[in-house]
This record gives sequence, C-alpha cells and structure tokens, in this order.
Amino acid sequence: MHILVVLRMVPAPATEFEILPEGLGLDREWMDFQLNDFDDQALEEAVLLKEASGARVTAVAIGEGANRVLQMAMARGADDAVLLSGDEEAGLASPAGLAAALLPLIEERKADLILTGVQSAEDLFGQLGPYLAGRLDWPHISGTSHLAVAGGGLTVAQERGNGVVARYRIALPAVLGVQTSTKAPRYVSGSKLREAAKAPIAKGPAVDSLPADGARLAMLSMPLAGEGAENLGNVAEHVADRIAHILAERGLRAG
Amino acid sequence: MKFLVCTETRSGKIEAISLEMLAAARTIAAPGDEVVALVVGDSATDAAARLGAADRVIAAIAPALSVPTAEAYARIARDVMATEAPDLIVMPYSATGLDVAPELAARCELPIVAYVVRLDRGDDGVAATSQIYGGKVMAKTRITGPAIAMLNPGSFPEAAASQVAAGALASLDPTPLLSNLRVELLGEDQPDLAEIDIATAERIVCVGRGIGDEGSIEIARELAGLLGAEIAGSRPVVDNGWLPKLRQVGKSGRKVKPRLYLALGVSGAPEHLEGMSRSDLIIAVNTDPKAPIFGVAHYGATCDLFDLVAALNDRLRAPAGS
Repeated sequence: MHILVVLRMVPAPATEFEILPEGLGLDREWMDFQLNDFDDQALEEAVLLKEASGARVTAVAIGEGANRVLQMAMARGADDAVLLSGDEEAGLASPAGLAAALLPLIEERKADLILTGVQSAEDLFGQLGPYLAGRLDWPHISGTSHLAVAGGGLTVAQERGNGVVARYRIALPAVLGVQTSTKAPRYVSGSKLREAAKAPIAKGPAVDSLPADGARLAMLSMPLAGEGAENLGNVAEHVADRIAHILAERGLRAG
Repeated sequence: MKFLVCTETRSGKIEAISLEMLAAARTIAAPGDEVVALVVGDSATDAAARLGAADRVIAAIAPALSVPTAEAYARIARDVMATEAPDLIVMPYSATGLDVAPELAARCELPIVAYVVRLDRGDDGVAATSQIYGGKVMAKTRITGPAIAMLNPGSFPEAAASQVAAGALASLDPTPLLSNLRVELLGEDQPDLAEIDIATAERIVCVGRGIGDEGSIEIARELAGLLGAEIAGSRPVVDNGWLPKLRQVGKSGRKVKPRLYLALGVSGAPEHLEGMSRSDLIIAVNTDPKAPIFGVAHYGATCDLFDLVAALNDRLRAPAGS
C-alpha cells in the first residue's frame, strides 16, 4: 500500500483576519499559518497504517510554512516529501486546483490510498477528499476514524452526528477525509526533527488557483460580531458578579 | 430556474435539514421556477406526507437504502441530474452531503459553494453567502451557471411540512445503479446514553480549546458541580482525549438545548453552533472578542477564563443572596 497524505497550511485559529481593500482576499502579511488540524490527524493515521501494515507514506504539502511541516512529517515517519508550490497571494484554496496538481503525482507515485483532513477552514469551494475521489473515480468516505487494514481493503468508522458511528468496508484504491486519528498525533523530539531536516524534499507541480467558472468570489466581509451578546466586560470579578446575578434571577443557581 | 433539493432521510424519516433546504430554495425561487426534491431511502411514505413544499418529488426507494452510503446516493443523484438538468443543486453539509456534493462537482464539472448560510437572487444570478474560517469571515459568491450549493444546517427555517400533491411524486428504480458498490456499510453503533446523555441535561458547562490543557478541565468540572450542570466539550477537547466522546457537543457530537449553556474558551465554529445555538441561555467567555460564539450568546465576557471560573466558584460556594 502506498499512502499519499495531503497537508495544507491554513491560518491559525487565533489569527487576526484583515480583509484587503477590494474585498477579495485576506491580508496575509501578519497572519500565522499552521498545519490544518484535520490534516495533522490524517498524517498520524498514515503513519499508524505504515506501522501496522508496512505501507509507504508520501507527504505532500502546500502553503506558507509547508517546508517545515514536511520535515515534521518525515520526523514522524513519512518516507518521502513533496512540496507543492502555489501562489501564496491567490487567496482561497480551490479543491479543483489542488486536485489538478495532485492527479499526476498520484499516478506517478502509484499511490492507492489518499488521506487528507475531512475539511479545512477555507473549503469555500468544496472539500478536497471527495472532490479528488470524484476526479479519480475512486471510492471515498469523509469524517473518518479508526482506520484498519482488512483483507484487500480497509475498515473505517465515520461519525454521523448525534453520537451515531457508522462502520464501513471500503475497497482500495480509495480516498479518505480523516476526522480523528486512532491515536493523538505524536510528539517528535528536536533531534529527530534535525535529522529529518537533512532529508530531501521533492518539488511537485505548481497549483493553479483556478477561478471556478460559474461561481466566483464576489466579496469577503466580517460577520456582525456578537450582535446577540450583551457584553459583560473583561474584569473577571465583575463578570463573575454579573453571571451569579443572572443565574440567580433565572433560578439557575444550584441548591 | 430549476432547483434540485437532495433531501436526507434516515430509516424512512425525513431529516429536518431537508425541510430547511426546501425553504432555502423557496426563498429565491421565482414564479415559474420549479423546486424538485430527491428522496433516497427505504420508504417514501414520510416524504410524501411532508415534502409538499416541493413542486415535484422523485423517490429512489430500495430496502438497501435505509441508511444510504454516499456512494449510492451520488450515483442516484447523478442519474437524476442527467435527466432533470437542474440549475442549482442544493445539498446539506451533513455526513452524507459532505461526501456527495464535492464528488458530484468533480464528476459533473460543476462549481460548488460550501458552508452556505444565505441565498439571494438578483438579475445577474444567485448570490450565496458562506461562513469560512470557522465563522470568522463571510464570503459572498456569485453563481452564474449550473452549480451545487451546500447548506449549513440550522441556517434556514424549516419549510412547513405538507402533503405532496397528487401526481407530483415519481418513482425511480435505483436497483440498476447499485451494482458493484465499493463502499459497504457494515453497521451502525448508537451512542450508549445509559451513562450520560448531555442532550437531556438542563445545564451544561462546555469547555473549548481555550481551556488550554487537560489539568484545567478540573476547575471547570468544579464549576459544573456547583451549578448542578453536566460538563461537556467541543471537538478539539474530545479529540485530545480530555473528555469522553459522549460529552462532545456539535455536529459530530450531541445536539443540546439546555436552559443554561456556559461556554468556556469555545470559539464557536459553525459545527459547534449547530449543536447548541438553540439553548435557552448562552453565556460565553473567550478572550477573543471576535470569537463567533458571541454571535449566538446572550451574554459574553472577554476576561481571563481561569480568573473568572475561580471567582464564579467562590460566589457559587456562598449561599445564594449572601
């Protein structure tokens, strides 16, 4: 089995979003980027599968800081790394553009299992996993956990909401959008990272941010923040008084 | 325009999101437009009784489709799309929809817009408004040709359930489409709610990523104890193993509607809001004043979480009114 895991850099959750004056992009100058949380889970799942079944793992990454993330992926157990170049200023990723760059890579490496995170915060134009699967004509499942090799395929669990978990068998080749890895993503030591930093990183194809015909971004805006919330302030003692009072008023004090 | 609303059923029952999608299509449908609903399941009885907001219903019914896999659903939807040639395909952002919609976009070379919370229509086509970056940024997209829109659950009110008009329900035999499936549903595990079901809790203290580490859950647990509340967590907290899965609120956890929902360090991604936004009283504490949770909270505070919980615990330990 040859697993190709797709790692995307996305704005860190706590980053400040500033919209560019024309409203079609974000000011990326001061933004912090980090590996998409779900892609981190996908990487862990890939390495766990390698440990369980001897699969080969190729990590492919794109975005600001992707090089460093690829070194981390190798330190965690990936065998190869491929860096995709993209237009950093292009704005929102499009699964169509990313899939177009990944298809030749998947064929060339003869990968038969593609893992990526179930979603990313900038999936305005759809989620990558099922989109890629559609282009490949491969079976796919998203929102997965508990991946295991079984016979000629895999068994996988999927969260269906309200606590219901579905269990599936899926044939290879396949694409999975990972939600939660079977074990939490592992920590790697500094010495392992330094060692991995010496490994070569292949240059992959450039990713075109294809403007989708028929659906184009017209305007980014900030949501009307907190229109519903009455502000209790930022002084803990005051806030505690107010909350205690509100709870008492509504008969929500325990006892 | 012709709309194709891809409804969801579960064990024969129409899911709420289906009526929300019909309402969404109706908000922008003009006189002369047609709203067609697709039903994939093991029975059309509930659909016939409730999908009257659609002009027509196409039902693909087979025993194997009680809980249809995304693979089976996508094949049926493609078949219907080829016959009907809809202008806008409306799908839910749900476990199945998340797999079906992008696959169809890729196979049919259609643009797709996800995380949609609002639809508008003008002379130049349809405008979709989406939440991206966990609800921190809104994106407006112009749709000028055939496209797929994935709707966030809870963004539109449900269309009134009514009987489908006589002769407006057509059957489609899905059997020929269901050979050589490559994904097999082995079974479903229901949550073991005997121990704890937070969906029935009257009060909930929910901790999010802002709690920082596992050790800090204790102080929140103490607060929950003092309030007579159940402790719950957002997805990152549960994924880290700090709280059991049964205590997760949100899209992939439980949907809750308590009298009190106290959110500590929860940012309020759309997937989380989907599970709690209809709580009676929501109080949110997060140091980020832009956190989307404040959009649904009744009261919000931006003070330090730990100082607040310590201060609140002190007050709750004292007898009320002292």
